[in-house]
Amino acid sequence: MRGLLSFLRRNPLAAIGAALLLLILLAVGLAPLWSLLWPLPSPIAIDIQAKLAPPGAAHWLGTDYFGRDVLARLLHGGQATLAIGLGVVALAFCAGVPFGLLAGYAGGWADLVMMRVVDAMLSFPALVLAIALAAAFGPSLGNAMLAVSITLAPQFARVARAQAQSIAARPYVEAAIALGVRPPRLLLRYILRNGIGPLLVQASLALGSAILQTASLGFLGLGAQPPWPEWGADVSANLAYLRGAPWVVLAPGLAILLAVLSFNLIGDALAEWFNPRRRNAR
Amino acid sequence: MARYLAWRLAALLPVLALVLVIVFTLSRLIPGDPATTLLGPGATSAQIAALRAQLHLDEAPLLQFTAYLGGLAQGDLGRSLKSGAPVLEEILLRLPATLELSLLALLLALLAGIPIGVWSAVRANSGFDHAVRVVSLAGVSMPAFLFALLLQLVFGVWLGWLPVSGRASPFFLTEPVTGFAILDALLEGDGEAALDAFLHLLLPTTVLAAFLAATLGRFVRNAMLEVLGDDFVRTARAKGLREGAVVFRHALRNALLPALTIVGLKFAEMLGGAVLTETVFAWPGIGRYMFDAIRNRDYPVIQGTTLVFALIFLLTALLVDLLSAWLDPRLRRGMR
Repeated sequence: MRGLLSFLRRNPLAAIGAALLLLILLAVGLAPLWSLLWPLPSPIAIDIQAKLAPPGAAHWLGTDYFGRDVLARLLHGGQATLAIGLGVVALAFCAGVPFGLLAGYAGGWADLVMMRVVDAMLSFPALVLAIALAAAFGPSLGNAMLAVSITLAPQFARVARAQAQSIAARPYVEAAIALGVRPPRLLLRYILRNGIGPLLVQASLALGSAILQTASLGFLGLGAQPPWPEWGADVSANLAYLRGAPWVVLAPGLAILLAVLSFNLIGDALAEWFNPRRRNAR
Repeated sequence: MARYLAWRLAALLPVLALVLVIVFTLSRLIPGDPATTLLGPGATSAQIAALRAQLHLDEAPLLQFTAYLGGLAQGDLGRSLKSGAPVLEEILLRLPATLELSLLALLLALLAGIPIGVWSAVRANSGFDHAVRVVSLAGVSMPAFLFALLLQLVFGVWLGWLPVSGRASPFFLTEPVTGFAILDALLEGDGEAALDAFLHLLLPTTVLAAFLAATLGRFVRNAMLEVLGDDFVRTARAKGLREGAVVFRHALRNALLPALTIVGLKFAEMLGGAVLTETVFAWPGIGRYMFDAIRNRDYPVIQGTTLVFALIFLLTALLVDLLSAWLDPRLRRGMR
């Protein structure tokens, strides 16, 4: 752990990513508290007289077509967007990892069949598969999340399989088998626990793509439905006002960029941390 | 090589079969009875029964699937619920626009990504290297639609330099022969129309290329760094080769091979991004077609475009594999 901290110190980009994430989490997570400090309007409070007001003292980031405060929507929408990212990755992790561990540990036919399924799912551009699934399930936030997690799960399966294959050959696993440890316990306590590193890297990188893809689905009208704030849906809902009132589009758009960037900075550094070959190369 | 080709094609078949199963299943995921959903609330029971028969919904799932495969074999992707036109025809009509956009983006990404990657590796941990790393991470993190909107706003609206949408200005519409706007204009000998088509291509191409160039630049950098640490590079330096020859003849050649795989994968991934890019720029390709289909709940079109995207993906992967095998004697001989 101390090694990781000193690595962060030597790796300014990772530190920037962590700081950025912390900032976003503070701003977004404490959104309800901020309204106690200064009057932050409700994200769905309509004020037609103030519609499309430019950023100013009353509305720091301006207002949208319905006179709703952009900053309020940004902070509340961020809760949705970040929760979506976490939820999607958790779903993908829980679906992909057991599948991959089993395939890598069992080997043989089971492995062959499972990996062909994974190959087939990876044969679609992720966004296209997510669009097709979300369209088939019907447009709602829950369905969009489900669709994105289905497209992310194969990557987790791949990484988990590679981990299971390399760890299953180690002496301590053989020893555990000889001692009569049952497969479920073996997979969970011995293989998953020792192979968790690359899976965490994958999760951190997947968080970025989960947010990006759910936002893209929202942009295409397949994600969160109005009036509730969500960054991707907010970009798409305000497209028509891009020329006259760019803030209504740029604020949620840039928020997505910053959030995804922070996860990618962290994931990138973690990948380097868990890959000794690259760690030494620097 | 022939054996490798045969083996690679054989390995593709089960994946292709599963892709077909997935695409077929998509249409059966529509909640409730697909025929009722497709026809909407105003349909009579006779219409519903007719559509059920047409979609083979009254048969067992396996029979439905074979009917679907039989249709595919004859190039039948179904008919659009909106226009009634055959989906395959509509897709083929729009495919050139998408290919024109994505191939140009690929070219641009290669021209930008490789030199940037090489330079960052040679000057590893310099200011340039760090700047490239931040910019490329930002490029990967940027939602395609946001980048597209920003470019539209800056170059189209504020500066007024470039057209913000579409494929050609109204007075420069050329007769489609090849389907590629620039080629068609040049075939007609119309230089102005070709320039117009080129200007329309600039912004959407940049959006698509940015993502690929960012990924490629980072990948080439890391691959170069690993190769530059190898023994044969030290030998090359020891025998007194100039640094340029070491970097380009020895290191780059060996770093480009793994980069090829990434280019193939990401190129196909980029096509997925075409849905967003084409939507923002009103580009009349298959991505935009898919978006319109989503809005209209035009399920056969969604299904058809999904299949075409997957096929392009598989084809690209196959091409990349064959190209790598052709370039790398180790893969060509020994393996399998």
